Amino acid sequence: MSDIFPKWTNKLPLMVGLSAALFGGAGTFGVYYYAHPGYTRVGYKPIQPVAFSHTIHAGQLGIDCRYCHNGVERSWYSNIPAASTCMNCHNQVLKDDPRLALVRDSAATGKPIPWVQIHKLPDYVYFNHSVHVNRGVSCVECHGKVNEMDEVWHAKPLGMPFCLECHNAPEARLRPPAEIYNLDWQRPANFTETHGKKFAHDWKVLSSTSCSACHR
Amino acid sequence: MKTIPPACREPDNGVQYWRSLEALEGTPEARAWVEREFVDGAGELKDPVTRRDFMRLMTAGFALAGAGALTGCRRPVEKIYPFGKQPENYIHGVSQSFATAMPTRHGAVPLVVKSHEGRPIKVEGNREHPINTVAGRAHGGSDLYAQASLLDLYDPDRAQRFTKGGNRIEREAALDQLAQFATQFSASRGAGVAVLMESSSSPSRDRLVKSLGARWPEARWFFHDAIDLGVAARAASLAYGRSVQPQYKLENAQVILSLDSDFISTEEDSARHIRGFANGRKITEAGLGSTRAPSGPAKQNATMSRLYCVEAIMSQTGANADHRLRCPSGQIIAVAAAIAAAVEPGMPAFATLAQKCPLPAGVKREWILECAKDLVANKGKALVLAGHRQPPAVHLVAHLLNMLLGAIGNSVVFRAAPAPAAGIEALVAQLGTGGVNLLVILGGNPAFTAPAQLNFTAALKNAKAIVRLGTHEDETFSALGANGWHLPTAHYLESWDDARTGDGTLVPVQPLIEPLYAGLTETEVLARLGACESLKSHDITRETFASLTGGKMDEEKWKHYLHDGFLGGGAADHQPPATSLAAQNIADELAKATAPAAPSAASIEVVLFRDTKLDDGRFANNGWMQELPDPITKIVWDNALLLSRKTAVELGFENNDVVEISVGGRKVAGPVWIQPGQADYTAGIALGWGRQKGGRIANFHGNDENSNRGRTGFNGYALRTDSLIVPGAKLTKTGATYKLVTTQDHWSMEGRPVVREANLKDFNEHPDFARNMDLDAPSHSAHIPKDDKGQPLTIYKHPYQSHPHLMSSMHQWGMSIDLNACVGCNACVIACQAENNIPIVGKDQVHRNREMHWLRIDRYFTGTPLKQKAASLLGSFANNLTSSPGKTDEVNLVLADPAQQKKEWIDEPQVVNQPMLCQHCEAAPCESVCPVNATVHDEEGINVMAYNRCVGTRYCSNNCAWKVRRFNFFDFNKRPLENLYKGPLAGRGADEMDLVKLAKNPEVSIRMRGVMEKCTFCVQRVEAAKISQKVKAGASGDVEVRDGTIQTACEQACPADAIVFGNVLDPSSRVSKLKKQQRDYAVLGFLDTRPRLTYLARVRNPNPAMPDYKEHPMPHSISEYAKRSGSPFEPHGSGPAAGGAKKGAH
Repeated sequence: MSDIFPKWTNKLPLMVGLSAALFGGAGTFGVYYYAHPGYTRVGYKPIQPVAFSHTIHAGQLGIDCRYCHNGVERSWYSNIPAASTCMNCHNQVLKDDPRLALVRDSAATGKPIPWVQIHKLPDYVYFNHSVHVNRGVSCVECHGKVNEMDEVWHAKPLGMPFCLECHNAPEARLRPPAEIYNLDWQRPANFTETHGKKFAHDWKVLSSTSCSACHR
Repeated sequence: MKTIPPACREPDNGVQYWRSLEALEGTPEARAWVEREFVDGAGELKDPVTRRDFMRLMTAGFALAGAGALTGCRRPVEKIYPFGKQPENYIHGVSQSFATAMPTRHGAVPLVVKSHEGRPIKVEGNREHPINTVAGRAHGGSDLYAQASLLDLYDPDRAQRFTKGGNRIEREAALDQLAQFATQFSASRGAGVAVLMESSSSPSRDRLVKSLGARWPEARWFFHDAIDLGVAARAASLAYGRSVQPQYKLENAQVILSLDSDFISTEEDSARHIRGFANGRKITEAGLGSTRAPSGPAKQNATMSRLYCVEAIMSQTGANADHRLRCPSGQIIAVAAAIAAAVEPGMPAFATLAQKCPLPAGVKREWILECAKDLVANKGKALVLAGHRQPPAVHLVAHLLNMLLGAIGNSVVFRAAPAPAAGIEALVAQLGTGGVNLLVILGGNPAFTAPAQLNFTAALKNAKAIVRLGTHEDETFSALGANGWHLPTAHYLESWDDARTGDGTLVPVQPLIEPLYAGLTETEVLARLGACESLKSHDITRETFASLTGGKMDEEKWKHYLHDGFLGGGAADHQPPATSLAAQNIADELAKATAPAAPSAASIEVVLFRDTKLDDGRFANNGWMQELPDPITKIVWDNALLLSRKTAVELGFENNDVVEISVGGRKVAGPVWIQPGQADYTAGIALGWGRQKGGRIANFHGNDENSNRGRTGFNGYALRTDSLIVPGAKLTKTGATYKLVTTQDHWSMEGRPVVREANLKDFNEHPDFARNMDLDAPSHSAHIPKDDKGQPLTIYKHPYQSHPHLMSSMHQWGMSIDLNACVGCNACVIACQAENNIPIVGKDQVHRNREMHWLRIDRYFTGTPLKQKAASLLGSFANNLTSSPGKTDEVNLVLADPAQQKKEWIDEPQVVNQPMLCQHCEAAPCESVCPVNATVHDEEGINVMAYNRCVGTRYCSNNCAWKVRRFNFFDFNKRPLENLYKGPLAGRGADEMDLVKLAKNPEVSIRMRGVMEKCTFCVQRVEAAKISQKVKAGASGDVEVRDGTIQTACEQACPADAIVFGNVLDPSSRVSKLKKQQRDYAVLGFLDTRPRLTYLARVRNPNPAMPDYKEHPMPHSISEYAKRSGSPFEPHGSGPAAGGAKKGAH
C-alpha cells in the first residue's frame, strides 16, 4: 500500500496549511497595508493647474486660512476660493505675471480653474468642517502644515481609524479658539492635562463615536 | 417681426436638466466647462479615429492601467471647479430655502422649498404663513400633492420640445408664431379666438386675461376643470347674489356634518381642513402628574369635535367620522333635505324639498333627527359641508344650514372671488359651428378629462389653429392635429407667478431653478398673445405685485414678500357675511332639484371621484404617487371598481374579477374590489387612471404577470357626463381577472391591541384605559418570570444597562404620534420618501411585499361583534387561535379566503389609521441578531443602520416585531423597473438616470442592492441641528438643541400636527409632555423593547343618542378586546384572568 502515496505526501497537509497561512497572511497584510488610505492617499501630491504656493501665501505672507477658504466656519466644505478672490490682490500684485494667466482668465470669464482634488472622503462619510473648526480643532490636525507646503499634499491618512483616534480622546487635539488657524502653534507640554480636558468639559465636547455621527 | 430673445437658451445638444449657477447669472461659458470634466485626451476621440490612433490610445490605456495597479490603485483624479466669480450670499455646501407656493385650482399651498447647489430637493409647508397658525400654534404642514410635486419637476417624460403638428420646431419659431397670432387677431378684435383654461387663483393671470380681453373683446373664454371643486363657491355666490368663495375653519366647529364632502383629502384646501379638524379632535389632558400615578387615573373633562358623515364611497373623511351613514351619492340630497327640515321645521323650502326627495330605504329617521338635534344644540359651533360631486341644491342647503346654525363668520368665512365663466360644453358648441380660428389651451388635459359625450377630441378638428401649453405630450397633444402648436409648461418650481391661498392672502410662486426644458408659464403665453411689454413671468409678477400694493413698485416690500412667502396684512379681503340672501335664486334652484331613482342591482350608480393620489390624472406619471397605497383600499399602481359586499354578492362578483361597466352606450372594464363601508348598488371609480399617453410610469409595461401591462388602472372619464355621479349603469362580468395588489394584508394586528381606542365618555371616566390594555399590565403578566425587583425579565439586552456611559445625558430622541389627530392622509409617507431617497419598486415587487416605504400608514377596519355573526380582526384571531378555527364567519380579513367578502359585518366598519415606522426600541430585537453589527444604537437612542456594514442576512427584519425594515432586493435606483432581474445587464436610460440623481437628497446615502434600510428618525436632520447648535456655541457649553429645532420629514409634512419629535430627557419638550399623557402607549410594549416611538390612543366622540351608538356603545375593537381580556375601563384584575394569561403567553 505504501507504494500508492510516496512518503513525502505525509507532509503535504502541513505544507498546504503552512502555505495557506503564509499566502493568506501575506494577502491580508497586503490588503491591510496597500489598500489602506495611509498608503493610497498619504503623499499624494498632484500637479495643479496654477502653481499656487501655500508657503508664500499662508506661511510668508501670513494670510489667514479663512481669507480664501471663507466657507469653512459655516459649511460642510472648506471651499476652494473663486478666482475673483485671488484677483482682490492680484489685480495689484504681479498683475501681468504669466503664471497667473489662468486665474485672470477665470475671473474675467467665469470659467473655473480645474484644481485637482487632493483630500477626498467617500460619499458615505458626512464630514462637516464647521463643527470642527468652531470647536477647537485646527486645520492642521487633518491637513498637516499646509503653510509649509509649496504644493499641497495629502498629509494624513483620513481613514476611519484616524477619525476615531481623535473622536475617542478629543482633549488631546483641542486648542484655544484663537489658535485654530495658527498652523505653527506649538502644543505646550502637558497642555492636554492642563487645558485640553477642561476645554472638553466646559465646551461639552461629546465627540460621537456612533455610526450616525458620520454615516447617514 | 423681431424675435424677442428667449428666457433661456436652447440646449446645445440634448436636454439640459439643470444649469449651473453661472448659467443662472447668464455667463455664456457655462456649458463649455462641463465638458472639461473629462480627462484630457478624451477630446481626441471626437476626431475621426484611425486604426492607428485607436491602437495608440488603447495601448496607452493598458499601460496606464498597469501603472495604476503598481502605484497602489490610486483613486481616479477628480477635479474641483470653483467659481470664477464668487456669487454673493452663497456658501458652497449650505442649502438654501426659498418661500414659494404650489398653485391649486382655487387656492395655493404655501411652501418653503429647500435647494441644494441650485436644485430643489424638498418641499415643505411654510409655517410663517397666516393660514398655518391654528389656535396660536404655527406649524407648516402640507399635503401629499405638494410633497409629490417635487418629483414631477424631474419627470423625464415632461414635454421638452416645442412642436408644430407633432414635429419639433425651434423655440424661437414657436414664439414668433405667438407674436404673429397677436398681430393677426388684433385686427379682428379677437374674433374667432377661444381660450380654454383651468381655474387658478393667480392675480397675474387674472390681470393678463383682463388686458387681453380688452385687446380682444370678441375673444371667448372658457374654463374646464377635470374635477370641478368650485361648486360650493358657485352655490354660495348664488345664495348671496354676489361672487364669493367660502373658507372653512374646522377648528371653530364642534359638530361637523359632511354631505358627501371629503374635506380631508379630495376637496380644495384639504391640508388646511385637516389642520383645523385635527385641532378640534386633539385632547389635552389636565392634571398630569407622574406618568403612572399609583393613586389612580385623574378623571378628565375633555371635549372634542364630532363628525357626522353621509357618503357613498368610503372616503378618508368617512373613515374619521364618529357617525357615518352609507347612502348612494344621488340620494344625499334627500338626507340633506331631511336634516335641514329637522333643523328648521319652519322653513317651507326645506319641507318642500324633503317631501320631493323622500329618504332612501335603509336610512333610519332617528339618525337624521338626532343628527339635526345635535347640530341645533351646538348652534354657533356647528358646520355643514357639501362635496363637489353634489348638485348646487345640496350646497345651497348646506349654506342655508350654516347660516341658520350661526356658522357664518365663525367656522365658515367668505371672501370675494372672481365670477365663474363658461364651461367646456360651450366651447365644444362653438367649435361645432366652425367659428374658432384660434384655440388656446392653457394647462389641463381636456382630451382625456372632458365629459365623454362631448367628444372633445373630434371637436378639436374644427379649430383652424390650436396653441396648447401642456406639461406632457399626452392625449391632448395627440389630438392637436397638423395645425397645433405645443409648448412645454414650466413647472411651478421653475416659474414666477402668484396666487391666493384659501384665506385670500397673496403668495408668490417663486422659481428655484431655470426651466429645465425652456418651458413657458401661462402668463408668458398670455403676455405674448397680448403683445405686452413684459414678456417674462418675473416682470409680469412684479407688475401685478406693484398694482396690488398701491401702483408703485416698492423694492423693500417686494423683497419682504418673497422672503416671507406671503403678503402680510391687508391683502386678504374678507367680506363680512351677507345678511340678506338672494331668496329668489335659492327658491328657483331648490325648485329645480330632484332626487334620482334609487339605484338597484340592475341600475348601478357610478360615482367618479378625485383620486387621492393622481388627482385628476396630473400625477399619473409620478412614481411616488403610483406606489403610494391608497389610503382606504391600500391598492398600489391601479384603481379599481369599488363595490359594496351586497352588490358584489348579488351580481356574483369577487375581488379581481374584471367587470364591464356600461352606461349610456359608453363602456369601460375594470377589476372589482369589494370595499367595506360602501353604499349598496354604487360603483366607485377613481379618476385619473388608465392614461393612454401618460409617460413611462403611467404607461408602465412590466414583464411579470403581476405588473402593469402598459397602463396603470382604467379610465373612469370614459363614463363621465357633466356630473361625476352617473346613474343607470349595468355591470357584466367579462370572465377575465386582473390582479390588484394591496399592501394592507401584508401587515395585520394578529390579535394584539396595536391600536387602542375608546369613546370620549369612557376616556373621561378612565383616562388610563390605554395602559390597562398593556399586556405587561400587572393583571396580564402574572405568568411572566420576574427579576428580584419584581420587574418582568427582559427578552432583549438593553445596551445601556451594561454600558451606561454610552448614553448621552443631553439628548435622547423620541417621538409621539397622536392617533386622535392622524387622519391617514399619507403626506408623511411621501415626505419621508422624498427626504430619505426611497426608491419605488413597481407593482410586481409590491406584490412580493418588497415595497420600500420606511413609513407606512396601517389602516384597520373593525366590524361589529354584537351581531355574533362575525368578528373583527382581533376576534377572528382569537377564535382561530382558541376554539373555532373552522368557522367561516370568524376568519381573518384576508384576501386568501373568498368567504370573508360575503359577510355582513364588513358593511359598517369602523376605520383606524396608524402610522407605522421604526419604533427605535431601546432594547432592540433587530440589533441582537445582526451578525455584523450593522444595526446598532447611537448614544442618543436612535437605532441606526450602517449600510456599509450590512451584508443582507435579513435576520433583523425577521426579528422585528413591527415589520418596519426594508430590504433592497434589487438596485432599484440604478435599474429600470421592468428589468430588475437582469441586474447589471440592464441600466436605466441616461435621461432617466440624470434626473433620478438630481432629485436625490445629498444628505442621505443611496442604498444599493442587498442592504437593509429603515426609518432613521431623520438622523441627517438631527445631526444637522446638533452641528448648527455647536457652531453657534463655539467655545462654550451651550450645545443642547432647543426643542422644536428638529422636525423630522414626516412631522414637518403632517398637516394634522400629529407627529412630534424631540428630546425626551428635556421635561419641558413637547414630546415629553405628550408622553406623560395617560393615553400614551407603546405598540407591543409587552416585549419590553422600550420603543422610543409611542402613540396616543384614539378617542372617538359618538353621540349617545344616535341609533348606531345604542347598538355598539363601544368602539368595535374595544368590545372585542373586552370580551377576551376584560374591560380596560374597569378596576384592574376583574377581567377574565385566564384569557389574559393565555394571551400573554406568546
